[in-house]
Amino acid sequence: MKANRRSFIKYASLAAAGNALGLRPFGALNALAQNSPGYKALVCVFLFGGNDANNTLIPFDTNGYANYSSIRGELALAQNSLLPLTPTPNFALNPNLPEIQTLFNNRNAAFVANVGTLIQPLTRAQYLAGQTAPTNLFSHPDQQLEWQNAAPSGSTQTGWAGRIADSLGSLYNQGASIPMITSVAGDTLFCNGNATSPVSISPGNVGAASCSEGSECNAREASAQALLTLDSGLSLIQADDTITTNAYAYAKTLADAVQSISPLQTVFPANNPLAAQLQQIAQIIQVRSALGVQRQIFFASLGNFDTHADQLTLQSALLAEMSPALSAFYNATVELNVANEVTTFTMSDFSRTFQPNSNKGSDHAWGSHHMVIGGAVNGGQIYGTYPTLALGGPDDSGSNGRWVPSTASSQYASTLSQWFGVPIADLPTVLPSIGSFSANNLGFV
Amino acid sequence: MNEPRFRSLRTLLQSAFGILLLLTGCTNGVMNSGGGGNGGGAQASVTVSGSSQVRLGGTASFSATVTNLTNTAVTWQVAGINGGNSSVGTIISSGVYTPPSSIPATNPVTVTAVSVASPSASGSASLNVLNPVPTITSASATLASGTSYTIDVFGTNFVSGAQIQVSGSNVTTTMVSSTELQATVSVPSGTTSLSVSVVNPNPGSASSNSASATVALASVTAAARLLDQATFGPTLGQIQNVQSVGIDAYITSQFNTPYTPLPNIPSPLPAVCLSANTPTVCEESEWWQAAVTGNDQLRQRVAFALSEIFVISSDSVNATTITYYHNMLAQDAFTNFSTILNDVSVSPGMGAYLNMLGSAKAPAGQIANENYARELMQLFTIGINQLNQDGTLQLDGSGNPIPNYTEAQVQAFARAYTGWTYATSTGGSPTKFPNGTPNYFAPMAAVESAHDMTAKILLNGTVLPANQTTEEDLAGALANLFAHQNAGPFVCKQLIQHLVSSDPSPAYVARIAAVFANNGSGVRGDMQAVIRAILEDTEARAGDTDPLYDGGHLREPILWITNFLRAVGFTNTDPNGSYYNLSNQANNLSERPYRSPAVFNFFPPEYVVPQTTLNAPEFGLENTATAILRLSLANTLVFNKISGFNVDLSATSTLGQIAAPSPANLVDTLGTMFIHGQMPSDMRAEILNTISGLSTAQQVRVATYLVITSSQYKIMH
Repeated sequence: MKANRRSFIKYASLAAAGNALGLRPFGALNALAQNSPGYKALVCVFLFGGNDANNTLIPFDTNGYANYSSIRGELALAQNSLLPLTPTPNFALNPNLPEIQTLFNNRNAAFVANVGTLIQPLTRAQYLAGQTAPTNLFSHPDQQLEWQNAAPSGSTQTGWAGRIADSLGSLYNQGASIPMITSVAGDTLFCNGNATSPVSISPGNVGAASCSEGSECNAREASAQALLTLDSGLSLIQADDTITTNAYAYAKTLADAVQSISPLQTVFPANNPLAAQLQQIAQIIQVRSALGVQRQIFFASLGNFDTHADQLTLQSALLAEMSPALSAFYNATVELNVANEVTTFTMSDFSRTFQPNSNKGSDHAWGSHHMVIGGAVNGGQIYGTYPTLALGGPDDSGSNGRWVPSTASSQYASTLSQWFGVPIADLPTVLPSIGSFSANNLGFV
Repeated sequence: MNEPRFRSLRTLLQSAFGILLLLTGCTNGVMNSGGGGNGGGAQASVTVSGSSQVRLGGTASFSATVTNLTNTAVTWQVAGINGGNSSVGTIISSGVYTPPSSIPATNPVTVTAVSVASPSASGSASLNVLNPVPTITSASATLASGTSYTIDVFGTNFVSGAQIQVSGSNVTTTMVSSTELQATVSVPSGTTSLSVSVVNPNPGSASSNSASATVALASVTAAARLLDQATFGPTLGQIQNVQSVGIDAYITSQFNTPYTPLPNIPSPLPAVCLSANTPTVCEESEWWQAAVTGNDQLRQRVAFALSEIFVISSDSVNATTITYYHNMLAQDAFTNFSTILNDVSVSPGMGAYLNMLGSAKAPAGQIANENYARELMQLFTIGINQLNQDGTLQLDGSGNPIPNYTEAQVQAFARAYTGWTYATSTGGSPTKFPNGTPNYFAPMAAVESAHDMTAKILLNGTVLPANQTTEEDLAGALANLFAHQNAGPFVCKQLIQHLVSSDPSPAYVARIAAVFANNGSGVRGDMQAVIRAILEDTEARAGDTDPLYDGGHLREPILWITNFLRAVGFTNTDPNGSYYNLSNQANNLSERPYRSPAVFNFFPPEYVVPQTTLNAPEFGLENTATAILRLSLANTLVFNKISGFNVDLSATSTLGQIAAPSPANLVDTLGTMFIHGQMPSDMRAEILNTISGLSTAQQVRVATYLVITSSQYKIMH
């Protein structure tokens, strides 16, 4: 699973070069590339709004559950509804995560407990004493950005995936016809590098713009593209020219790549926007050799986790959407024979107050529990340190159960980055604060 | 090279010498001279007759009478130069003189005929070269600023020193070319036209015809740009309207235009949304209809901007209350920001979206819901960090931003906002909390038993004392935010971003924030004053005269669609009159009315275009996927394929009739409709070249497609 597969890169690059020349890779080489164990992909699923991790991964032992239940009050999930985790019997899952339960019990999924934004290791006492902590804690946009850029503040214009693409693009994706990063959920900081930008795909809409002008289509498109080359002298016009020019190129590349592939057999859940995004990602992975990519990072998302009210209803629906979607995607990677080469992980703004509010909801908090899925994952384990569930207790940043993270999001990212191929020497570039933490690899993948 | 010039000089000296010697027979400037020193016999002489004056641009004819020579041929000179030249004018063998392009340095000029047979015999005539008579073909007067107007006069024969006269009086005139003069004058208000003439200077000073200059209060460019900023899109008719009434009066008239109410959605649902069985279809249909057809364009546009700040979404709010919410924003758009704050806060829509609705005094073991408390500060009023009045961040001694509030203050506001629930069906306070029966059409009602009556420490030292009522605490909390020093720059910058420009200069923000702080009459938060100041600011208007002014913002998908429909015109053909299909189209581009995926709107105000330093919020929706989808939607639009709408771009359409005789006029008309009359010449040439040879209908379609998909158009600038 973790052997060095660099020796295959050469062949894959040949395939990529063939594509760049407009040639279809011949059969044997194509097959080699399709099965190339040199390929790796990271898939980020961002849970926008701040998923309540307290009701995602729940203490299941008698004392732990009783403590959970007494403090969580109205938000406590019934113990008999929870989904047991065989390898870690003291913890169980939200009842809406049966597919995640299976993945975990089959050791294809792991959790990382109480991970969150940090600049340096921090205890409750240090936080209360005013030691350096991330800026704008509890603010959605700021914490989203800090998770995505893994920088001390939300101010940088690049994300850690973008910086990985900056760092590894020339090594792995020489001659690739699309960028290393693909977003199926719009623009996010996560995907932006200093020298690289992502390709965006609207799920189910791979391909060129429609044209009804018949024989005039080519002329119309050529003219529309020619207009993009005129020097307007206006900054925003030039910015849009650049995006649109890339859009034409990527649309053609992708349309060519997918035009003759056979559909995946894996069934993705219907009427499930996250599933549609992940299905689109699976299709792109399917045509990876035609695209000439050896390394890919994908960004997908699911929103509305900001459950200030009526949380039990709202979060249940969201997790019930997420769980089968992630499972179907894992199954698709098995079908594509890349289960060991694709690692999926969650990120989210923050977790939510362990103490409920008076609206049957919870409010913005900090450290959260995240899941990592894939054949390469050392699954069936909970990494990091599960917090002490006590208001005003040793892990609380205040008195409402906003856990001070015991693992930094940059450590989480660092572990994924190293699996993906980022050399240790490049870690400080990709994750500027990683040097502040003793461990740069949590070992979950 | 030098020799001919030397010879010419010698000839000139000889002529002058001859004139001095033989100053005889001089009538009407006609002189002759006999050949000297040829001995006996009748002396040969040459007499020249002809015009005594000629205007630039005209010609003068001369004839020579040669006496006492058989050979009567002469050569003609001007100022002693054979045939003349471009400085003194030219003369041809038949004696026709053409003046130079401007008055010669020596004027009058001397025209001389020299006998070919006897070069010593010559005759001369003096000719005054006069300025031409100017002609005006058109004149206009366009508001520059205040009462100052730019008069633009087009015509022919304008010479250096030409004066524009307004009602017979000279005004300071700038010569642009021989066909265009400009002047800046003060015009009394109410003037609808000016009598304009042009007088060329001496020699030969002459006045042109008199022309009437229509007083246009705005140029085409200014009018169209204003309509881009202040409405859901310019139309040719509205451009003319703004030109004739001017920007300031247009804004005033829009302030006074009654609002277009979105009808309440009845229950059971009407046919227009029954098929989908959701009030969202009705609500969005109504919204689109008001946006593209309402007369209260500025009000609707500002309400749209407010809806992208005070975000609620039918993702989680029943759409039935969204029409009420939108009507409230439209009615409040021209009131005071404090009114907006209050009405938004107690609206059932915002209550449901950010959970002030049903937030009760927390029992032991719980805390008050922080959602509205936090986001009202962070997103709607003051932002996270302290700002200077120009919208830039204040920094502490270490160069770090200074937070506006602590978690404890968020919790204090959260407690202040407890006790609100749906009003009863008659708008009163219910007896139980929360009231489970929604009233979507009335402000929420307070239930005192559900209100946390402990004291709350708010911002800037304000304390809400214990035992205040629900209403008192809300009023106190909103007053605290309204008075906060951040409110002006924070809110005004976002309004500028939505209406005018993504990245306004700090000075622009500061000017508007000052108006927010004081409308001139001591009133804080006057929305009319703020909106007028935003739209009339020099930075908003800079592009009226400078096509390269680097500002503007990306046309978000909703505006791009409404702009197209309003510009080219349409008829609704849906059997139920529904406009909802526009939502289906916009949704492909990740935007639809009141359907933001989160309270942060479709795009955040601070968004920076990747790999640039450009703050451009709408680019949050612009990526390589949506760019392609917008191209596809453009194809749908020009092919009239939106169900329920008829958009006529055929050969018989208005644009088709323009295109048939002149594709160039088609492209220019599109340039006026979509690019405020400033389509760059290279773009114009490219489009003209592409549509050359196509059928008329195809010319209209392709040209329109190319314009609306161009970045020149997508960026509203």
